[in-house]
Amino acid sequence: MICEHCKQRHATVTVTQVVNGQKSERHYCEVCASQFHPFNLDFHKDEQVPIHQLVSNWFGLPIWKTGTQEKQTQNTQQVTTCPSCGFTFRKFLNEGKLGCPQCYETFSNQLPQVLAKIQSSTKHIGKVPGNTKQSNERIKKQIEIIREQLKVAIVEERFEDAARLRDEVKELERKLESGGVDQS
Amino acid sequence: MNIEDFLKSEAPSWMKVKGTDGDIVISTRIRLARNLDGFRFPLSFSEKEAKEVDEAVTKAVLNISEKIFSHFTIKEMPALQRQVLVEKHLISPLLAKKENSSSVLISDDESISIMVNEEDHLRIQCLSPGMQLLETYNLAYKLDNELENHLPYAFNNTLGYLTSCPTNVGTGLRASVMMHLPALTMSKQIKVITQMLTRLGMVVRGIYGEGSENLGNFYQISNQVTLGKSEEEIIEDLQNAVVQIIRNERASRESLLNKAPLVLEDRFNRSLGTLKYAHIMTSEEAAACLSNVRLGVDLGIIKSIPLHVLNECMILIQPGFVQQYAGTTLHPNERDLFRAKMLREKLNSKTNKFNNKGEEKYDV
Repeated sequence: MICEHCKQRHATVTVTQVVNGQKSERHYCEVCASQFHPFNLDFHKDEQVPIHQLVSNWFGLPIWKTGTQEKQTQNTQQVTTCPSCGFTFRKFLNEGKLGCPQCYETFSNQLPQVLAKIQSSTKHIGKVPGNTKQSNERIKKQIEIIREQLKVAIVEERFEDAARLRDEVKELERKLESGGVDQS
Repeated sequence: MNIEDFLKSEAPSWMKVKGTDGDIVISTRIRLARNLDGFRFPLSFSEKEAKEVDEAVTKAVLNISEKIFSHFTIKEMPALQRQVLVEKHLISPLLAKKENSSSVLISDDESISIMVNEEDHLRIQCLSPGMQLLETYNLAYKLDNELENHLPYAFNNTLGYLTSCPTNVGTGLRASVMMHLPALTMSKQIKVITQMLTRLGMVVRGIYGEGSENLGNFYQISNQVTLGKSEEEIIEDLQNAVVQIIRNERASRESLLNKAPLVLEDRFNRSLGTLKYAHIMTSEEAAACLSNVRLGVDLGIIKSIPLHVLNECMILIQPGFVQQYAGTTLHPNERDLFRAKMLREKLNSKTNKFNNKGEEKYDV
């Protein structure tokens, strides 16, 4: 079928109009169609989908309010690239995943908006690594083990080993003390 | 242990114990996502980084734990072995596809598996029979604490544990409960429950992977939110929801039994007959029949089949296991033949002792 307007190109778009209950169909090529109906998104299939649309596709969220939407467009104009893995915020939106731990720092301006939508808040209130109390316990246990080895070494008259083990105990005890200072 | 030990055609040993509310809750799973600071996430890291992460994690796990772990590199395993591990929930489908330095560390009783270089550097997973959310979490928590002393976790004071996908950031915790909900499915209440749970920040999925919404009336219920709630809150919220669902399922079962005891009895025994004597069995039919028999056992109508045999069959009917059983790769319709054969063996051998009369013998 040939386009009804330019009568040159192949007609690929069908426009259905309903006026006063009367249905009429027109067949245009893509070039002419986009001139007549620039509002129809289907004509721009290959163009970039707006960012807020992408996010909502990815996370199954309602489309963002106009306020955030404008802010978002601004942010992407000055493209930030993660120095560690080369990810851009756009790449994150496409993948749905970040490239490295550093990304959380790099995109610290944009990420909270995404997190607020998918999480219950943007502040972690759970487990924190490096609980001093626990590591102290661990060191104490280690000291006990080494002391046992030290006794065996003395009984077996391996004095070089014993000296080394004694130094290890001293080192761990020093660690324990400084840890105690930190705690108080 | 060798990989063969983990591929046997039987249920993992942790599953042989009946857990709390074992009639409705099959198992509890806790997963923690962790990453190492200074390495890019598996999505963008180099092969060199992958290797370093694998070595560091493996060394840490093998050194610290009271449990004995075995280490397997994914790319060295044939596809069928990988599939069997997926079907046992020991590795994820994503990890099974990895060709770089990805690996898995599995404890001897198969209750703990640590995936290395899946979507995150570490995925610590603990499995328990029945409803044991808190107990299983404590297990994972302990293991995590031990590993933390040897591995530099990527952690941020405001965002918690950093993960590749922002749906895991914060606690990195995904707690799941596998439930058998035939009565709620029959009475169509499951849809309402799914919607309600979504609003509470939880998800309902089928247990045989994506797209298997309610195969065998099995559902996996897990938390969605990982940031802004503490681990204890996440566990408690899920626990409350699950307890509520158990109560509803029990009530529905009772009303079903009151309304149509004969119809149910007929249905359960028909299903048992099919499982025991059919020669062609698709996984859908097998799952549906197993669900019926299971409900029959729970309601005291079927007495000849122990629950752990049904748990085992539930795992064994999956395509990977059927092929493992046959010892070769099979076309889907050949699988249906072997699946039926395997079910006949499993279910008839157990009843032999009961009947005292030997039933038909099948050549292996």
